[in-house]
Amino acid sequence: MLELRGIRHRYGGRLVLDLEQFIVPRGASLAVVGHNGAGKSTLLRLLAFLDTPTEGQVLFSGAVVPPHARASLRRRVTLVEQRPVLFRGTVRENLEYGLKLRDTARTAMNGIIGDVVERLGLAPLLNRRRHELSDGEVQRVAVARALAVRPDVLLLDEPVSSADRAAANALYQALAAERAARALTVCIASHQLEEAYRWADSIRALAEGRLSPVTPENLFRVDLPTGDGTKHVRVGGIDIAVMTDRTGPAVLAVPPTDIFVSLQPLSTSARNVFSGRVTGMSIEHRGAGVHVRADMGGVELVAAVTAEAARDLALAPGKTVVFSFKATAVQVF
Amino acid sequence: MLVAGDSEVYGIALLTLKVALVATLVSCAIGLPLGYFLATRRFWGRRAALTVVNTALAFPTVVVGLLLYGLLSRRGPLGGLGWLYTWQAIVVGDVLLALPIAAALSAAAIQGVDARIRRTAQTLGAGAWRTAWTVSREARFALAAVITAAFGQVVAEVGAAMIVGGNIRGSTRTLTTAVALYTSQGDFGLALALGLILLIMALLVNIALQVLQGRGEPGVGGAGGTHA
Repeated sequence: MLELRGIRHRYGGRLVLDLEQFIVPRGASLAVVGHNGAGKSTLLRLLAFLDTPTEGQVLFSGAVVPPHARASLRRRVTLVEQRPVLFRGTVRENLEYGLKLRDTARTAMNGIIGDVVERLGLAPLLNRRRHELSDGEVQRVAVARALAVRPDVLLLDEPVSSADRAAANALYQALAAERAARALTVCIASHQLEEAYRWADSIRALAEGRLSPVTPENLFRVDLPTGDGTKHVRVGGIDIAVMTDRTGPAVLAVPPTDIFVSLQPLSTSARNVFSGRVTGMSIEHRGAGVHVRADMGGVELVAAVTAEAARDLALAPGKTVVFSFKATAVQVF
Repeated sequence: MLVAGDSEVYGIALLTLKVALVATLVSCAIGLPLGYFLATRRFWGRRAALTVVNTALAFPTVVVGLLLYGLLSRRGPLGGLGWLYTWQAIVVGDVLLALPIAAALSAAAIQGVDARIRRTAQTLGAGAWRTAWTVSREARFALAAVITAAFGQVVAEVGAAMIVGGNIRGSTRTLTTAVALYTSQGDFGLALALGLILLIMALLVNIALQVLQGRGEPGVGGAGGTHA
């Protein structure tokens, strides 16, 4: 539905986004994860037609979007920024803003607002003004304001960063209800991988403005030394062996499914063997197994194992484990 | 004299008010959109345009009057209008002086609005005009101050009004030119009385603008990125 093609976007001469292709399929529930500064917000602003890429094209329904069509398409693609702002006026006036732009009749407007207000629990806030709201409440109102205009594509930048658990759940439930009721495409930028796994159909990882070829765990910014073949790159307190001819700044990605988990060091061909303690375990994700997080010399690595394997090894926080993976398993981008 | 209702004085006051209101209206009608444009659009030469507008803030009023005199005089390019020594000529001079104030200060006011306001309006479907209105609403106190400053400039202006208006009794004599005249004639009492009227007029306009601004509401806090 939305596509970025051949994007090289710069701010003040600095390359902040470098994407060959990024597609948001129609009806998808997509998460873009990455550290702060990875380029997530820039990506969403390009998708929302709020920024023009320095190089490259933005496509909507397969067609390149010319500059004069951006304003009309913004009525179908709505972005809620990471730290959203409310306009001057009450919460109700904010919720009415986009509907009035669309000449929505008063009765229909009241119905739509009543609906989003109920879903996001905003009834007590309707007559408040922005300075009378907490950051979390502002975030909820901003999401409700975006949902009220019933966009085809909803882009959310860290939508629960200021929300407590209950508010975050309410938000995700509201999104799920909306998606169940109509074909809504959602793309959320988040640095919370757990959240992304919980609700998204697919996840893309962004690091240093580039898309990771693998899942978003275990991404490390490094400076690769010169030379060919196996290189040992310092990451925190460990040296990771990697097979690459590349030099200079790069991102290393270790797919969690390529990490063997054992209780003792194994005699294998793996060049990377690290011992540490389990710091956390996630519930089993859709097709991703159980994620085992372990502190390896100050670096947190995530390995994916089946629930059965986790049970057999009696994995639990605090337990000593060994993670092993081959130098060729480490991807460089 | 003020209490007795001297017709000449009230005539001068009314002309001053008319000239000031028309000049403020025209300069703000052009200057505020120009300021918004300069604050929100990125185009080649924008920095130079801002520099020109800011420099024009310090343009001497007598120089503006002199240039306008050249344009409006019988042999000047705009002589055919027949505006020299009319209240319209004073309005034109005042507009030229107030326009840079309206443009430069409104550009600064709009730049002070969090960039997220503009992006949010756009992403909710607002077109260019509605976005401009939304952003301007956020800056309404600053923009009201811009209008006040523009009014202050034109109501207190004397140099250009004297040159292109001619300070003709019953025709182009404004409060400021009258004060200058009566002071030079040594009639301080009359000059002071007219000055008092000028102050009251400025006060009333300010009060009216404050009423129009309505209730205050804290602005949006935090960093909002740059204006795109």
